[in-house]
Amino acid sequence: MHIPDGYLSPSTCGVLVAAAAPFWYTALRRVQKTLTSRMVPLLSVFAAFSFVIMMFNLPLPGGTTGHAVGMGVASIVLGPWASMLAISIALVIQAVFFGDGGITAIGANCFNMAIVGSLVSYALYRLIGFRATLGSARRVMAAGIGGYIAINVAALCAAIEFGIQPVLFHDPAGAPLYAPYPLSVSIPAMMLGHLTLAGLAEFIISAGIIAYLQRTDPGLLRLSAPDAADYDSATPAAPEAITFPAARKLWLGMALLLILTPLGTLAVGGAWGEWTAQDLSDPQARAEIAAVSGNRRPPDLVPRGLERLSSVWTAPLSRYAPAFIRSAAFGYFVSAMVGVGLIVVSCLLASWLLAKSPPKAPTAWAPSDRPRRKSFVEKTLRGLVEAMQRTLFAEDMAMARGLLQRFDPRVKLIGVAALVLAAIAVHRISVLAGIFLAAVVLAVLSHISLGTLATRVWLAVAAFTGVIALPAIFLTPGEPVFRLPLLAWPVTLQGVRAAAFLILRAETAATLSILLVLTTLWTHLLGAIRSVRFPAVLVAILGMTYRYTFLFLQIARDMFESRESRLVGVLAPSDRRRLAVSSAGVLLDKSLQLSGEVHMAMQSRGFRGQIRLLDEREMGVANWLLAAGFVAFGALAIWLGR
Amino acid sequence: MKEPREPAAAFDVKDVSFRYLDVAALNGLSMRIQRGERVALLGANGSGKSTLLRLLAGLYFPDAGEISFFGESLTERMLENEQFFYSFRRRVGMVFQNPDIQLFNPSVFDEVAFGPLQLQWPKAQIRERVGETLDLMGISHLRDRAPHRLSGGEKKRVALASVLVLDPEVLLLDEPSAALDPSSQAQIVEFLVSWGNRSKTVITATHDLDTLEDIADRCYVLENGAMAAQGTPLAILHDVALLERTKLVRPHHHVHREGAAQPHPHLHSHLSE
Repeated sequence: MHIPDGYLSPSTCGVLVAAAAPFWYTALRRVQKTLTSRMVPLLSVFAAFSFVIMMFNLPLPGGTTGHAVGMGVASIVLGPWASMLAISIALVIQAVFFGDGGITAIGANCFNMAIVGSLVSYALYRLIGFRATLGSARRVMAAGIGGYIAINVAALCAAIEFGIQPVLFHDPAGAPLYAPYPLSVSIPAMMLGHLTLAGLAEFIISAGIIAYLQRTDPGLLRLSAPDAADYDSATPAAPEAITFPAARKLWLGMALLLILTPLGTLAVGGAWGEWTAQDLSDPQARAEIAAVSGNRRPPDLVPRGLERLSSVWTAPLSRYAPAFIRSAAFGYFVSAMVGVGLIVVSCLLASWLLAKSPPKAPTAWAPSDRPRRKSFVEKTLRGLVEAMQRTLFAEDMAMARGLLQRFDPRVKLIGVAALVLAAIAVHRISVLAGIFLAAVVLAVLSHISLGTLATRVWLAVAAFTGVIALPAIFLTPGEPVFRLPLLAWPVTLQGVRAAAFLILRAETAATLSILLVLTTLWTHLLGAIRSVRFPAVLVAILGMTYRYTFLFLQIARDMFESRESRLVGVLAPSDRRRLAVSSAGVLLDKSLQLSGEVHMAMQSRGFRGQIRLLDEREMGVANWLLAAGFVAFGALAIWLGR
Repeated sequence: MKEPREPAAAFDVKDVSFRYLDVAALNGLSMRIQRGERVALLGANGSGKSTLLRLLAGLYFPDAGEISFFGESLTERMLENEQFFYSFRRRVGMVFQNPDIQLFNPSVFDEVAFGPLQLQWPKAQIRERVGETLDLMGISHLRDRAPHRLSGGEKKRVALASVLVLDPEVLLLDEPSAALDPSSQAQIVEFLVSWGNRSKTVITATHDLDTLEDIADRCYVLENGAMAAQGTPLAILHDVALLERTKLVRPHHHVHREGAAQPHPHLHSHLSE
């Protein structure tokens, strides 16, 4: 579900950042208004909590384990807007620090999981739990189903983003430049995993934590259920739910965006624009494209609705637009945007309708008191310890005296951004390999050993992306160059190139991003982000999230260690699940309590809700030149690799 | 604010009660703390001393009764006034017991700079003042460290630095020496003894009787949210019955020469009389 770098074209990434931006903006505005100064510690601590929750291995039926994102819990406890921010922040930290999800794909990942996920799970929770009292089993189910469907809708978004890549972005010979599978492959492949494992994990964590909160801290459920039966008059009044006037700006923004999408794609262009420009002028390539397009006809499995939508979008344009706008590919892209837009809009509509519904008569609320069981959780424990070690290792490396460590963090931020962008924009494998080599040289000069890179980055990426890329060798249509003995599967030239592109891009981007992390202290990185006019509030929240992520990793580790030490025998899967969920619940309780206390500590030192940060010092000529050097290198690579 | 005689007490607490949702934490408590006084709040866990500190810090507000700060009533409404808010926060510093609460910034430098930034000091002055404070506390070498890379004693020093950077008139300390090794404990106490040259008001919540005489001129003993006793450290330390009742010491079982085991209060404080 966390999309790595190199799977999506730069233009797709750009469009998704643009799609996420109005939500982030609105969420920030709304949250600042409703939660005042409590917002900063609350969001930070909750983001840290989501981060740690994503590391929990949840035992699933059938003996496997899965990870949840936690959007169900976040959107129920915080409301959809704050949840979007909290999960986005957790995703950013994951991408930057732990290489889960690409840096260029942050917009896509946040859009799928944080924004669409939060909205869907919140809407479903409100819809299904509508008339139920706060402590009812129905709310537990509502949370579970909300989480299950939300993560599946998020996965569907990701699948669509993947699936449109080969149609839109391939080289003249037909080799896909990014994710190589069409919708007919990407949708079933993504959904299979999410309808089963990941969906169940999300179901368990959402339902489980809501059940836990019903017993321990039902006040936290009040925000997302303002109409539910009252059980405690001392509960503070909840901020209002999504209302139409407040959402109006967002609606307008969304509508505008959907209209602008075609223009945006043209402007951002990238691979696709180039492909058209080149091929339309060159008769030979044109013939080639035509041949390839024959192979790339929309697959049969594509939902009818999408196809119809695509014709709706392309039809009115056809008379005035150049030929390529009439292509099916373009229609797909736009339809995907429309489809996602529809999901989001219907969620907003649902929550708006719910907010207008009359309150319900109170019913009795009976807390249930199930005992907590113990069980083993070695996998989670291992994951937590690894994450902590990674953080410590990164901090130690950043203190070393290598080449990159000496650069201003802003130079590194600009430099790495330029190189990652080049790595995902180039169309030539040789140039991509050149960028990769440059990254390796920089690493060695910064005292990062090849062994570290191999174990931390290359192997991990190769294992993950390799498995994904391998079938593309056979599945991509094109000229067969080799047939597998016995099976007689054709290996196509296009397929090999596609797999090579995907793996090399993912490796290069991951190597570059770990360079940034291993040579720059997080606080310096935050300063760098701040100096490129990133909102101060978010910089502060990112800083606090990082600080508390480590604390929660420690708390979670201690919790699991103490459980492990008391383990006797093997527990039934259901007990293991209960244990994982109650651990998550305890962590949530601690998180929220901590956020209240931290807020007081902030107040006592003069915090009134307005974030103030020290500006960075001037960068100096030498550093500017360095930054310019990086950018020039990136630009050169893009030009050479066009 | 340095006039020789200011009539109002630093804090005047009158009949203050405070409840958490369902638990009463303070019941009709009254006390007067003069400017420049060093006061210890003694009491077992849950006796209400942390709550009292938070009331004095203007973080909680009494359900009944009144607290005034240098003659001005300390209410939620008063603190909504921006001018009073900033002047109060500047004059009253609070160090929380739990370093995970006190230290919420990603690095030591950011932590110490947080207060001055909120009070909108000029940025150049902030850098300078933060540097001085780090030097004063002997933690300059930690400036880029994350809180999770600090030892317990270092955390406490950073916590103190983060408050002292504002040079407050009143310092509220919640268990400053709890969970520290003896050497770090001694460092903190030494620092507190020398800090401010007796012109500062220092209010310390503690149940550490060993350092009582060093850090306080006067003690209040709290029990279940009410005042159990007050007096000089020496007088309080001698009142064994009081200390036992308020769970500050525990009857110490040990075998006497006669061979009979018997409960017998056993103070380990340095009573030099």
